[in-house]
Amino acid sequence: MLYLLRLEWKKIRKLASFRLFSVCYLILLPAILLTGLRFDELPPPINSNEVFFMFPTVWQYLGYIGNWLCFFFFGFLSIVVVTTEHSYRTMRQNIITGLSRQQYFLSKFYLIVVVSLLAALYYALCGFTIGYLNTEAIYWHKVWQHADYIPRYFLMCFGYMAFGLFLGFMIRRTGIALFLYLAYIMFIELILRWGVHLQIAEHRSMHFYPMNAVEDLVSLPFMEMADEFTSKYGFSIYLQPLEASITVLVYSGLFLYLAYWRVTRSDL
Amino acid sequence: MNVLRINGLTKRYGRITAVDELSLEVEQGMAYGILGPNGSGKTTTLGMVLDITHPDSGSFEWFEGQYGSDARRHVGALLETPNFYPYLNAVDNLGIVAHIKQVKAPRFDELLKLVNLYERRSSRFRTYSLGMKQRLAIASAMVGDPEVLIFDEPTNGLDPQGIAEIRNTLQRIAETGKTIIMASHILDEVEKVCSHVAIIKNGHLLASGTVGAIISDDFLVEVAAEDMPGLQAAFQTDSRIKKAELQEDGTLLLHLENETPAAAINEWAFSKGHTLSHLRIVKKSLEAEFLEITANQ
Repeated sequence: MLYLLRLEWKKIRKLASFRLFSVCYLILLPAILLTGLRFDELPPPINSNEVFFMFPTVWQYLGYIGNWLCFFFFGFLSIVVVTTEHSYRTMRQNIITGLSRQQYFLSKFYLIVVVSLLAALYYALCGFTIGYLNTEAIYWHKVWQHADYIPRYFLMCFGYMAFGLFLGFMIRRTGIALFLYLAYIMFIELILRWGVHLQIAEHRSMHFYPMNAVEDLVSLPFMEMADEFTSKYGFSIYLQPLEASITVLVYSGLFLYLAYWRVTRSDL
Repeated sequence: MNVLRINGLTKRYGRITAVDELSLEVEQGMAYGILGPNGSGKTTTLGMVLDITHPDSGSFEWFEGQYGSDARRHVGALLETPNFYPYLNAVDNLGIVAHIKQVKAPRFDELLKLVNLYERRSSRFRTYSLGMKQRLAIASAMVGDPEVLIFDEPTNGLDPQGIAEIRNTLQRIAETGKTIIMASHILDEVEKVCSHVAIIKNGHLLASGTVGAIISDDFLVEVAAEDMPGLQAAFQTDSRIKKAELQEDGTLLLHLENETPAAAINEWAFSKGHTLSHLRIVKKSLEAEFLEITANQ
């Protein structure tokens, strides 16, 4: 495993998009939350900007920002690391040089696991630091109250990256894969869920779509609209964290299996 | 030792059969040329033995199976175009190859000097000219000193000076006794670098054997008589004959400058006191065949 991870590191260390995406993530994750400093008074139900930075709610707000950042930067990264190796024909050369197809696939799999882990660790670090500096009285049970957001955050990032890997291996073209990734998450799945599924059956099964489950792992902290939805349809707009986790694991497993199947079967 | 054994390898793309029941064997120390026009199945064949193309049927075996599925780590190969990470420099790119092959102490400086890239070792691959890319590919194939080197059209797209440089490099490698497999559509290139050759067309093997026997410019005649050493001695001293060499099958191969009728050769032998039991004009047929198939591309 270390052999494959070191290989990936040699490859992406000087990759421009990897550097750009990492720096953007590292800066933007705390920076966007801190722009909340400029809004002292907020409309209800938030009222004050303090909740952004205090335990335990800092986990939710920071997590929501991270959700968007992981969706963009790490989702894109997982596509780019696969499709560029196709366009440079370096995947083919890796196999000729001696890597097996299984090893090649595993190297990408390990990469997204490690990137997701590091992203979640950084989220935890930012959350602790911001929370610690902005909470007047620190009660440890308050700090840990939403700390389950950290593993959920990891799974969220992994879910986006597994989907990206799947698209990268299936489609092979950077532009088309990125477009489909954005289009599916931002439009296609929404149309399927709200425009098709909900019209056919008003049932909470409409939430069990792969990218919705990923988003619900670290979801929108504003509850107003959620209550409205619940009173109208009789079920929550969100998946329970456990439901979301299992759904993400099942879909990610499926995506990764299909990507693996493609790698081992196709001519390069 | 048998380095590569290909047995009835077949690859179809839809209705086109790119490689059709191809069998050949490469022994250790050979410089083996696979000669054929573009689209004859050379790259497809190499792709299959390197595991990037799945064969429809047939099999192949590296090193008599002694390395199992790890065999590619003992082979240095360059297929079609040089494929490297454009944003990495020469040393970083070779570093990835060495990492995959698990080479403990790779001697990059030495290799880069061999292919004249040492001065540009810190430039990114994307800034290289085609000739430099091709030379880096040769260096990359040699990382870890693999037992076999595979080159596919190594001089494709190069200017005459580049072609000469690459050929010199390949000849130097071949002279060290390393096993080389080279695919090419250029007769001259194979003749200069290789000791053995297989000619393929439309995925079929047309002929294989030593380069001397198959594609020399000489007019070749195969003869045999009861007293073979005597026959050889007689012809070796004959000024009309450039070379007389004993072949593995026991016949004697005569190299002549010009086309000569069989009757004349028979007469020469008879005048030296030998009655030929076998006489066959080998030469022009294969040469003519190859020129014909390359002319048709």
